[in-house]
Amino acid sequence: MLKGTIAKILEKPFTSYLLLIIMLTIMLAPIIFTAFTSFKPRAETFRWPPTYFPEEPTLQAYHEVLFRSPMVRHLFNSLVVSLGTTAIVVVGGLFSAYGLSQYAFKGSKIVLLIFIATRIVPPISLLVPFYIIMSFLHLLNTYLCLMIVNTFLWYPFAIWMLKSFFDQFPRTLIDSAIVDGCTRTGAFLRIVVPVSAIGIAAVAIITFLWTWNEFLFGMIFTNTREVQPITVGAHYFVGDELVQWDSIAATAMFTALPGLIFFSIAQRAIVRGLTAGAVKE
Amino acid sequence: MKISNSHYGVILSIPGLIIIIALVIFPLITLLITSVLRYTSIYPITFTGFKNYQYIFGDRLFWLGLEKTVVYSGGVTALTFCGGVILALLLSKITRASAFFRSLSMFSWAVPLVISGFIWRWIFNPNVGVFSDFLMKLKLISKPLPVFSDSTLSMIACVVADAWVRIPFMCVFTLAAIESIPRSLYDAAKVDGADCVDAFRYITLPHIKHMVLIGLLITSMISFRTIDVIFAMTGGGPGRDTYVLSLYIIDQLWLRVNYGTGSAASVIMFLLIASFAGYYVYLIFKEE
Repeated sequence: MLKGTIAKILEKPFTSYLLLIIMLTIMLAPIIFTAFTSFKPRAETFRWPPTYFPEEPTLQAYHEVLFRSPMVRHLFNSLVVSLGTTAIVVVGGLFSAYGLSQYAFKGSKIVLLIFIATRIVPPISLLVPFYIIMSFLHLLNTYLCLMIVNTFLWYPFAIWMLKSFFDQFPRTLIDSAIVDGCTRTGAFLRIVVPVSAIGIAAVAIITFLWTWNEFLFGMIFTNTREVQPITVGAHYFVGDELVQWDSIAATAMFTALPGLIFFSIAQRAIVRGLTAGAVKE
Repeated sequence: MKISNSHYGVILSIPGLIIIIALVIFPLITLLITSVLRYTSIYPITFTGFKNYQYIFGDRLFWLGLEKTVVYSGGVTALTFCGGVILALLLSKITRASAFFRSLSMFSWAVPLVISGFIWRWIFNPNVGVFSDFLMKLKLISKPLPVFSDSTLSMIACVVADAWVRIPFMCVFTLAAIESIPRSLYDAAKVDGADCVDAFRYITLPHIKHMVLIGLLITSMISFRTIDVIFAMTGGGPGRDTYVLSLYIIDQLWLRVNYGTGSAASVIMFLLIASFAGYYVYLIFKEE
């Protein structure tokens, strides 16, 4: 009897909407609270009971972050590292993924297996050897070092995603271009790449975002403000005694901004790319 | 000169192979070698056999770290599972404004884990955060919860901050599985008099089991080694109540400056995660 009643309540569309709105409120509240906190004057962030909405909205925290702290430098560092990594991963990944997808050769299955196998290597396990190698090469505290480790983090994943896009590409289209006198590389660059542009863009966006969000390697391999990415630099506002919540909130908004923007405009492509990367379609 | 198609494929995959060998296989070999060396900043480097491993297995902190990691990873996976699957089920049921609700439910995915740590640190903070205040307004507690000085509560706080970022992934994964179920099955069940609880139990659940399992494996694999949130929220504290294995490895590197034991701990970490990962790869290949 009880089960019947529960089923009846659950079947109502109203119940679904109500539960969904409750869940989404909980999911989105942290972002909204952070946005509100970033507009509070500092004194207000230390008041008890806490205010939910800023009572005297001000841009003080943003002013502090942009003009009186090294955050701009950290944002710039993150940008350089993310763009560099994206370039390496996409350019280095395009050709290899295409070769593995469309021009299978003896042993290409094994190569593919190696690519998958490398994805199960947890990054934390390679922290120590990378640290040894990087200090041996005198690359600690450089952009190049961060780009290299981030390439290690996202490259196998990018290959996997790109390959799943190229696998869906109609072979006849490539063949007819070649019959028409196009070279194989020409057919790839002039036909396959433009047609798969959305998929490639998704891979690029994901690589960019995940490099931007990366923290562990940035923290271990850099210790000067000249190269530290924003995820590490944000700790600037955390003191032993005092945490500057308004500045932290403003920094959080800046740091989360690329993700929020990309997720707003290209959500479908990102989500499709990420799920295709996790399980082969 | 004409290059054959298969040679062309080889040439194309060379850059990928170089990157993988230089960035994964070479460091892995380095790791295995340094894990059997006495490698500190003070003494000359010598071969020590399995002494590093012996040290790790005899170290109380390692076992503490392992215990905390299992609790943390288990907690994150469980919370992500519940949140993700419920969210996916709700999203699959609604018809109006579904695109709008879907994009809203994805946003926390875009937030960097460190930032998530900071955000939740503020929310749970007993002096300035809204969590305690909210519970007090509801008259559930009489004074602010000392979240970051309590062993269990600080672990829960870290788990919440981590799972918050991972729920959308689990949700998308489950949603894709739910949408691949043919509608006709539900219609047939309705004709036979099944209500939505029966339909969930006998149609939805068996169909999404496989995908959800893969999602669970990925989540547990990743949360087993993630440190971002803990670093931003507690730094391993209070005491060592959120001291996970990744922090233990970093301590070998920074605090003890002992690359030998650091490598040995990394190899153990690798083997632990590889056992999940092996099962994950097996599941994917079974699909094909």
